[in-house]
Amino acid sequence: MRILFFLLFLVHYNCFTQNFISKTGEITFFSYAPIEDIKAVNKNVSAAFNSQTNEIVFKLDIINFQFRKKLMQEHFNENYLESDIFPTSTFVGKVYNNDSLSNVKGLLTIHGVTKEIIAFGTFNILDNSIKLSSSFKIKLEDFNVEIPKIVMYKIAEEILVDIDMTLLKIL
Amino acid sequence: MRFKLIFILSFLFSNLSFSQEDLFDLISNNESTIYPEFFFKGTKIINSQSVEIPSEGVLQFMIQHRFGTLNSGFYNLFGLDNSQVRIGFDYGLNKWLSIGLGRSSSLKAIDSNLKFRLARQCSGSVNFPFTLVFNTSVALKQFRFSEINKPNFIFLDNLSFTNQLLIARKLNRKFSFQLTPSLLHYNILPINQTFHDQFSIGYGGRYKLNNRLSVNFESFYQLNSDNNINQLSFGLDIETGGHVFQLHVTNSPYMIDRAFIHETYDSWFEGDIFFGFNISRVFTLQEK
Repeated sequence: MRILFFLLFLVHYNCFTQNFISKTGEITFFSYAPIEDIKAVNKNVSAAFNSQTNEIVFKLDIINFQFRKKLMQEHFNENYLESDIFPTSTFVGKVYNNDSLSNVKGLLTIHGVTKEIIAFGTFNILDNSIKLSSSFKIKLEDFNVEIPKIVMYKIAEEILVDIDMTLLKIL
Repeated sequence: MRFKLIFILSFLFSNLSFSQEDLFDLISNNESTIYPEFFFKGTKIINSQSVEIPSEGVLQFMIQHRFGTLNSGFYNLFGLDNSQVRIGFDYGLNKWLSIGLGRSSSLKAIDSNLKFRLARQCSGSVNFPFTLVFNTSVALKQFRFSEINKPNFIFLDNLSFTNQLLIARKLNRKFSFQLTPSLLHYNILPINQTFHDQFSIGYGGRYKLNNRLSVNFESFYQLNSDNNINQLSFGLDIETGGHVFQLHVTNSPYMIDRAFIHETYDSWFEGDIFFGFNISRVFTLQEK
């Protein structure tokens, strides 16, 4: 009986509790404004997915966003995202799979403000890895990021966020 | 019956075995090190160098003004009639080294400096309490070409050298403090001075009022001075998009190291206060 119990446990553990993680995902954001287009990329995004519950989490350090211009990076950290007070951004959600297009629904936290979002994208589960990509828009005012009037034409109100990463299976 | 129960139990068990917290645990990294950045808004606190250096591939253009003394009366529009100007460029050669070149109208001096960042303040898996920057500069007092032919002309006489170790700590997100032990060497002494090598300890700081405004102060305590006065300055930094405006009041009209540290003869108590400003603008020459 004990063996049976153990076997069942093992079977369940292997079948259902599979975790996929990555620490080198890429998130890029774009701001298209009349005067200036701004782009920044973070190549150290972490994510973990549990195939049993379909739960997915993302985490990144704001300071790891790289801009082409160093001054933009300074203002981004110092004046807008205040990365010394709010060093990380996280997402906690669930993946809903359809045949062609998946979607993810959950809570996104940026600049200390949490908001529910839904994003669409691709979510391909392979044998040992998951490839996911998504693109969605967020509004700066939803996350209490204040843009002074003087730079209104340089920074867009809506920011386009692109995610592209491959999660690997762990035991 | 028993089998069924175990089956259900084990199923429940595997279902409950993971939550979102556990998922975050899988990707947590405890080995990260935090480097505080942006100790000061500008590469100068007021007159003297701060631990900030221009980023790699960034050229900073700085224009500095010092007007006359505030107590010079309405006839001089409280000093605005007399202005001294320094035009300077600083360029970040890489992450830890910058080079600067400037020219002041007061004393007709050309100055050049190198700033090396030796260490950065950090906490986490690596700990270090201070950011250390070494600044070395040379100033040349300009001369006319006709002077070169004079028999007693020696080019080296016109030089003075400064070596400084800048030790700064960002205590919290608003307050940064800097200590600046300095050694200054004159090749030929100006009037009123008796020491070729002069030692001083500078100290300064900034307090951020909000994301775009900060108040600064700066002073130099002289260890072997003659009859000159310690420089003391207060400033307000205003940051707009690409510019930093630094407005200040100081008792030194000069903008090169030797003069504002060791050649200050004006006293705050007598109202010999100079209004001045620095405006800096950065240009990204080399994008990543």
